[in-house]
Amino acid sequence: MAGSISVIGRTTRVHGRVTGAVDLEVQGFVEGDIAVGGDVTVDVHGMVGAGVRGRRLVVRGAVKGDLVGEEAVSLEDGARVVGDVRAPRVTIAPGALVRGFVQTGEAVESPSRAARPQSAARPASPAPAKTMAAPPARAPAPTPVAAVPAPAAKPAVRQTEAMTAVGSVTANSLPRRPPPPVVPALKKAKGQVAKRKER
Amino acid sequence: MAQTRTTARDADGRDARIGSAARVRGRVHGDGNLIVEGHVEGQLAIRGDLTIADGASVTVEIIEAHAVTIAGALEGDVAATGAVRLGASARVRGNLRGAAISMEEGARYSGRLDCEFDLPPELGGASRGETRGRTPARR
Amino acid sequence: MASTVIGAGITVEGDITTDEDVVVAGTVRGKLSAKEGITIEHGATVEADIVGGSLTIAGALTGNVTATERVDLQSGARVIGNVKASRVTIADGAQFKGNVDMDV
Repeated sequence: MAGSISVIGRTTRVHGRVTGAVDLEVQGFVEGDIAVGGDVTVDVHGMVGAGVRGRRLVVRGAVKGDLVGEEAVSLEDGARVVGDVRAPRVTIAPGALVRGFVQTGEAVESPSRAARPQSAARPASPAPAKTMAAPPARAPAPTPVAAVPAPAAKPAVRQTEAMTAVGSVTANSLPRRPPPPVVPALKKAKGQVAKRKER
Repeated sequence: MAQTRTTARDADGRDARIGSAARVRGRVHGDGNLIVEGHVEGQLAIRGDLTIADGASVTVEIIEAHAVTIAGALEGDVAATGAVRLGASARVRGNLRGAAISMEEGARYSGRLDCEFDLPPELGGASRGETRGRTPARR
Repeated sequence: MASTVIGAGITVEGDITTDEDVVVAGTVRGKLSAKEGITIEHGATVEADIVGGSLTIAGALTGNVTATERVDLQSGARVIGNVKASRVTIADGAQFKGNVDMDV
């Protein structure tokens, strides 16, 4: 009878941590950390007073804590979040209210799951701190591990100089999407986007 | 190459536009709406709505506008009196403040979002101005 | 029917209070208090004092049990703790160690 999803009911208050390898739906009040391996939904009446970690987070209620999604975080109309938001994909619908630092494109390790097989297949990121997102469907050809991104990525080489923090946009990390618009090195003079020498 | 100061004014009601081949280095200000399809570096302050099109790039300290719709690249803060919307192709690094902020899936973003609102009383109520986490120093 | 479900993979460390039913199939360490029914399913692990209306226990529970209506220990239940309720049933196959107080 108890299905694969756990539910904190509307009048339920939990003062403590919630962990596990399952999906969770919060309709009531949770005061401690939530760290699960599955998806977490905070309903419109749900309230969480600490951080939430999961695979995919959907928030329609109130959260005072950081939201860290291994795959995605989606804040829907009605959401009120004070805290940081980190996930490879972040969606914020009109009507969602946020106050905090938001970072997309970061690969986050699940708290209750070992490294996924895909991680092993992924070409090693030259700058692990930069956390290239590792989405499942990667179209571009495998890239050399070396510090220089694949030549096939065309303009991507220059990206690293101009806008390093914007999701580490290089060919490696782009999921089934055409390369982003090039931001020519704006410090460069005049209209030409010359290749810069490697540092 | 545009002059140091560019006024974006729609003399006959059409939106002002910085075309895709244009590169502006300097200050852009005006009363109406502005569509940026090229490259702007410097300052941007308009009374109307700003659109940064896909393929455009803007690097400023701060954008002041009413509503801001971003489908291209922006490095800089946004202080909007209206809604700030990031499309799926947006690439934005900077802090955003506006009446409402939304972000489509696929948008790449790094920075602080600042909406004015109160949490419910169970979570501490009025926490206006309270910050959690870090605010990155740009550049 | 249950409004709060602590599923099989979930662990809650802390206090749970609710006005509704609770079904525990996972792990709870702390306190559990419900106005209505509490069901502890087979396979669940509860290390907590539990207070409720009508309690059905088929899993492992270490803690005191207080019910305003009844407590039913089903086959497969393993309970260590005191039980206080006006009606108590312990099914064949249930393991129980503790006091039973039916003077409510």
